[in-house]
Amino acid sequence: MVKWMTKLLVALWWLPLVALAQGQAPATAGSGVRAWNEIKGEKREVLKLQGDVARGEEAFKICQGCHKQGATGSSSGAYPRLAGQHATVLIEQMTDIRSGIRRNPKMAPFADEHVLTTQEIADIARFLQALPIQANLGRGPGNSLDRGKALYEKDCVICHGNKGQGDAEKFFPLVAGQHFKYLLRQAVSIRDGQRGNANPDMAKVLKPYSDGDLEAVADYMSGLAAP
Amino acid sequence: MGWTDIRSGLAACYDFKQSNQPAKGGTLKSDCGGTCANFQSSPWHTGFLIQTAAVLSFLLSGSVQAADSATAKALVVNLCSACHGLDGNSTDPKFPKLAGRHPEYLVRELKEFVSGARKSDIMTPIAKTLDPDEFKGLGEYFGAQKPGSGVVLDQKMAASGMKLYQDGDEERGVPACSGCHSSTGAGSKRFPRLAGQHKEYLIQQMQDFRSDARSGAGSRLMREVTKRLSDDEIKAVAEYLTGL
Repeated sequence: MVKWMTKLLVALWWLPLVALAQGQAPATAGSGVRAWNEIKGEKREVLKLQGDVARGEEAFKICQGCHKQGATGSSSGAYPRLAGQHATVLIEQMTDIRSGIRRNPKMAPFADEHVLTTQEIADIARFLQALPIQANLGRGPGNSLDRGKALYEKDCVICHGNKGQGDAEKFFPLVAGQHFKYLLRQAVSIRDGQRGNANPDMAKVLKPYSDGDLEAVADYMSGLAAP
Repeated sequence: MGWTDIRSGLAACYDFKQSNQPAKGGTLKSDCGGTCANFQSSPWHTGFLIQTAAVLSFLLSGSVQAADSATAKALVVNLCSACHGLDGNSTDPKFPKLAGRHPEYLVRELKEFVSGARKSDIMTPIAKTLDPDEFKGLGEYFGAQKPGSGVVLDQKMAASGMKLYQDGDEERGVPACSGCHSSTGAGSKRFPRLAGQHKEYLIQQMQDFRSDARSGAGSRLMREVTKRLSDDEIKAVAEYLTGL
């Protein structure tokens, strides 16, 4: 019995390597696949800086015209609520929008280096993280919450948390109580490869989702209580 | 060293008939004897001079400030008022109202005219003739004046201007102007007061931002915002703002 088993194992020594190759190996240079959220360049610089809440409040004033005072955003889905979001996530988005990795032609000029300094990005992130979160400002239609909950618990909890709280260290955004229409727009954009700086794992998860599935899960998240 | 010694030291060293305050340049006697030398080298002397200087500068500081604002007023009377009005509420819409604008904003603009960061065929040469030390006084003078309002001629236009000013346009990504310039149009040291400004001046500035003709602090952002506005929208916002 043991002899047979050993022969089998020796014959199949190459199998684990195949599994590895199929798995989530980090993209290497020249492989054509950009690694998600590479911490380099300005992003790296900003993450090392100490942000100041008071300076951030002043610097944020140029953002209020769209993101509103208190950073509550818009229920039309045009502008996300930024209040209470993880500073790491905000820094990632601001630097990615600035560098063009995240495709956002409407916002890019307002995050331009002549408008915001590197330090201000750190300050704004720190200021926003500390703002009180107003949840459920833009809730979804509420007609497929059971389906949304089931999908969320199956596919999303692993990164975004059971309460939609996200993970600051891993750059997974807080999604609880975010505007429904914004969540939906981003989910579609990530599924369809439009966003530019989407996490490839998330794009993979969303690939089989129908529009109805995306609506359901966005609806569910928009109703989650503020952490 | 006692107080009597200090007094005799002072008397020996300073001719108080010339001036009563040594710190203000009471004539030091050149032929003062040993008492003077001893006194001068004593810490009492230094302490006395420091104290007197401190008291004097405190008393004089009020009058130095008054001198600043007197110079500023003179400049306004002789130079600025020709275009901007004595009270900063100009009558010719080519020249912006300065009354009630934040002093630090006004100083910043003057500095930018001098440095060339902001260009103006009219203001650049004028600003360059000024002593930069005067800028603060000028800013404070105009900042203290009462800002006037303009006249709204087209209420319908003003109403659509108000919507754009307060809410922006989400579809095109036009930020609400109120986000920076405040919902009353009063602005701050960073973002100028727009309320009550001449509509022609506002239209000209917005068009200059849109064509990249206007540069300077904040211009990158304003150049982008105005590129998202049509001519009609610029006029509507100006119509609304002049009435505030």
